[in-house]
Amino acid sequence: MQNASVNSLISSYLKNKISIFTYHDNYVNSTNRLGGPIPQEVGNLSKLTFLDLSYNNFSGNIPPEISLLKSLYWISLNRNQFSGHIPQEIGRLSSVSRIYFHENNPSGPVPASIGRLQNLSVLSLNGNGLGGPIPQEVGNLSMLTFLELSFNSFSGNIPSEIGNLSSLSALHIHQNNLTGSIPEEIGMLKSLTRLRLDNNMLSDPIPQQIGMLKSLTVLVLHMNNFSGSIPTSLGNLTRLSELSFFDNHLSGPIPPTINNLTRLEKLQLSNNRLTGQLPENVCRDGLLTYFAARNNILTGQIPLSLRNCISLYRVRLQGNQLTGNISEAFGIYPNLDYIELSDNKFYGELSPNWGQCPKLASLKISNNNISGEIPLELGQATQLHEIDLSSNHLNGEIPKEFGRLTSLLDLLLNGNKLSGKIPIEIEMLSNLKHLNLASNNLSGDIPDQLGDCFKLIQLNLSRNQIGERIPSTISNIYALEALDLSHNLLIGEIPRLGRLQNLELLNLSHNMLSGFIPSSFDDWQSLRVVDISYNLLEGPLPDRKAFHDAPFDGYRNNKGLCGNATGLIPCDPIPTNQPRRRKGNRSLVILIVLPLLGTLVLLFILVGGFLILFRRIWKRKPREEQSQDIFAIWGYDGEILYQSIIEATESFSSNYCIGSGGYGNVYRVVLPTGREVAVKKLHQSEDRMSINLKALKVKFVLWQI
Amino acid sequence: MASLIWLWAFSVTLTLIPSVFGNSEGDALYTLRRSLTDPDNVFQSWDPTLVNPCTWFHVSCDQDNRVTRVDLGNSNLSGHLVPELGKLEHLQYLELYKNNIQGTIPTELGNLKNLISLDLYNNNISGTIPPSLGKLKSLVFLRLNDNRLTGPIPRELSGISSLKVVDVSNNDLCGTIPTSGPFDHIPLNNFENNLRLEGPELVGLASYDTNCS
Repeated sequence: MQNASVNSLISSYLKNKISIFTYHDNYVNSTNRLGGPIPQEVGNLSKLTFLDLSYNNFSGNIPPEISLLKSLYWISLNRNQFSGHIPQEIGRLSSVSRIYFHENNPSGPVPASIGRLQNLSVLSLNGNGLGGPIPQEVGNLSMLTFLELSFNSFSGNIPSEIGNLSSLSALHIHQNNLTGSIPEEIGMLKSLTRLRLDNNMLSDPIPQQIGMLKSLTVLVLHMNNFSGSIPTSLGNLTRLSELSFFDNHLSGPIPPTINNLTRLEKLQLSNNRLTGQLPENVCRDGLLTYFAARNNILTGQIPLSLRNCISLYRVRLQGNQLTGNISEAFGIYPNLDYIELSDNKFYGELSPNWGQCPKLASLKISNNNISGEIPLELGQATQLHEIDLSSNHLNGEIPKEFGRLTSLLDLLLNGNKLSGKIPIEIEMLSNLKHLNLASNNLSGDIPDQLGDCFKLIQLNLSRNQIGERIPSTISNIYALEALDLSHNLLIGEIPRLGRLQNLELLNLSHNMLSGFIPSSFDDWQSLRVVDISYNLLEGPLPDRKAFHDAPFDGYRNNKGLCGNATGLIPCDPIPTNQPRRRKGNRSLVILIVLPLLGTLVLLFILVGGFLILFRRIWKRKPREEQSQDIFAIWGYDGEILYQSIIEATESFSSNYCIGSGGYGNVYRVVLPTGREVAVKKLHQSEDRMSINLKALKVKFVLWQI
Repeated sequence: MASLIWLWAFSVTLTLIPSVFGNSEGDALYTLRRSLTDPDNVFQSWDPTLVNPCTWFHVSCDQDNRVTRVDLGNSNLSGHLVPELGKLEHLQYLELYKNNIQGTIPTELGNLKNLISLDLYNNNISGTIPPSLGKLKSLVFLRLNDNRLTGPIPRELSGISSLKVVDVSNNDLCGTIPTSGPFDHIPLNNFENNLRLEGPELVGLASYDTNCS
């Protein structure tokens, strides 16, 4: 709709002397929104008491003519795109009780004239780009109940005149750039129920006068620079349900008067420098849902009242020096979703009670002194997504009951004394993303079933006593980014692990892996860091930048690795990308290389003699085929060929000798394939005629008849 | 009359809940949540009333509570991506592979100056590869294979010297394959199955038009 239509609406309303003008459409995807600026004719609506143009696309400035609306009681312009400054004429709307102007794009300060609006009860300016100081004239608004200035760029101090707002119920100035301290006059706000000053740059200690706000239910000061101690007067705020002081520079103890706040539902003190103990009676009346005091310097034990605090939903106490026996400190919590107690000094054993928390999704108690076994009852808490019990003194086995925790994303048990095998029930954990069992005493093998955890991003089994082979099923974990199996007792060859295209880190060092590095390593395009040192590997280093960039320490101390890298011998020119050879490896090399060299030399010398034989016996055959045949004979089957020659000549019996010369005898051999060849066996020293496959001292020249 | 006013009063006070929740990264992720369909409830833990998204599952943060990883691969998601993802300035890994995400790649992803890995492979994403991705100066892995992307491979990607892996196979891209900069070690089969992709670019004095846009 156009500006013109608004005008016509206005005229029709004028004719009818209507006092309520409202056009708004809350529907998110509405196409019925009005747009353009508010026409200055709006000032003619002298009987207007109620104006609601919210949730439209109005833009431009608020026309100063709006001040002519002497009867206006209620004005809603929120959720538009008004820009420019709030006109100082707004101070003339002497009857106005409610101004809703939030979520627009204005800029500039709040005009001081606002202080003249003696009937103003609600001033809602949040979510704008307003700046400058909060005018001290705001203190004149004696009827004001709701002052909403959050999500702007107000700067400077909170004016002490604020204390005059005796009717004020809610003061929201959060998410601004306010500095300085909270004025002591704040204590005068007898009707205040909600105080939100979070996300500013307020500093200095929180004034004791805060304790005078007896009606306060919500006190939120988080993410500022408040220092000093939490005032003991807070204990007077017995109606308080939400207390949030996290992310400040508060020090000293949590005042014991906090114990009087029996209505507390949210107590959040994290990221300060608080010392001393947690309040003993927290959750005495069973209302506490959020309890966070992480990253402080708190000592002492978990308060007794927390044991039966069945309302608990989210607990974050990590990063302190809390101590005590953890088996007794906690109970069964029907609503508990998240609990983090890591980086403390708890001892004792894990209670089976955790298994009876039906909604528990995160259990994190790493880096403590917990001992004993992991209770198998934990397998009953089937909502568990994260378990972090790393860096403790846990012993016993990983419960097979963990197979029931099919929602598990993170299982971190590293740095304990767990023993036994990795349970095959791990195959049930198809959502697992991070599995860290490093630095334990695990033994047995890596189960094939681990391949069923196909969503794993990180797999760390290092520093255990895990043996046997690496299962090839690991190739099913197609998005694996980091694989660490180092410092174990793994044997056998590295399996071809398929197309692990996300693999960046591979550590197989300090094992007993043997054989060649599989060629599939060449496909791992993402590989950045690799360590295969201290194994029994041989063969060429893969042609991957990760290997070229690896320091010598990344592949040192193997059996026979070769390649173009520091500290390695270059590989043999003949490609050795071959299937395994057990016994005949060495002799095969000699069988091929030596006869080949011998052939080249002797061919030159014997070619003359050949030509004579050639004319007499030779059947015409194409040259290529001939040379192909010779090389085909020289291939992998050298060993088998040798055997056939021995058999066909009855160990070089003279019955098969068809000629002799200065260098050796020529024998006629019919190979098992039916082909006839002549074999020249070069003379060796007479007393060394024993045919020994392993120490081959006989050289052959082979050609076709 | 009075009751009418109170009715409006009620509806208007409801609008006082601001649309931002105080953490712009949490907001951006929550916008992503709202534009994706999530039958497996992977977003169950994405509570926008928490002070930051760092305890949300599938989200990782650094020590300053800035989002560094979003791991939503293979999560049965459909719907589309949102430009707000570009606000995650410290994001290093954006893992959205193997879902059923449709729509286009938002150009705002080019603002993720710390991004190391962009994995959108195996989805149903269409439209072109935005040239703004050339601004991702930390990018190492770019895997867009197995989608329905069209248009050319933007030359701007050749300017990312850290780029190690590019895979755009199995799409409907056209034009030529860049050969300069990081592209000279990318194997050709990372570009396969793009019927209209003509092969490596021929760099010479004369420019040529491959009728690809």
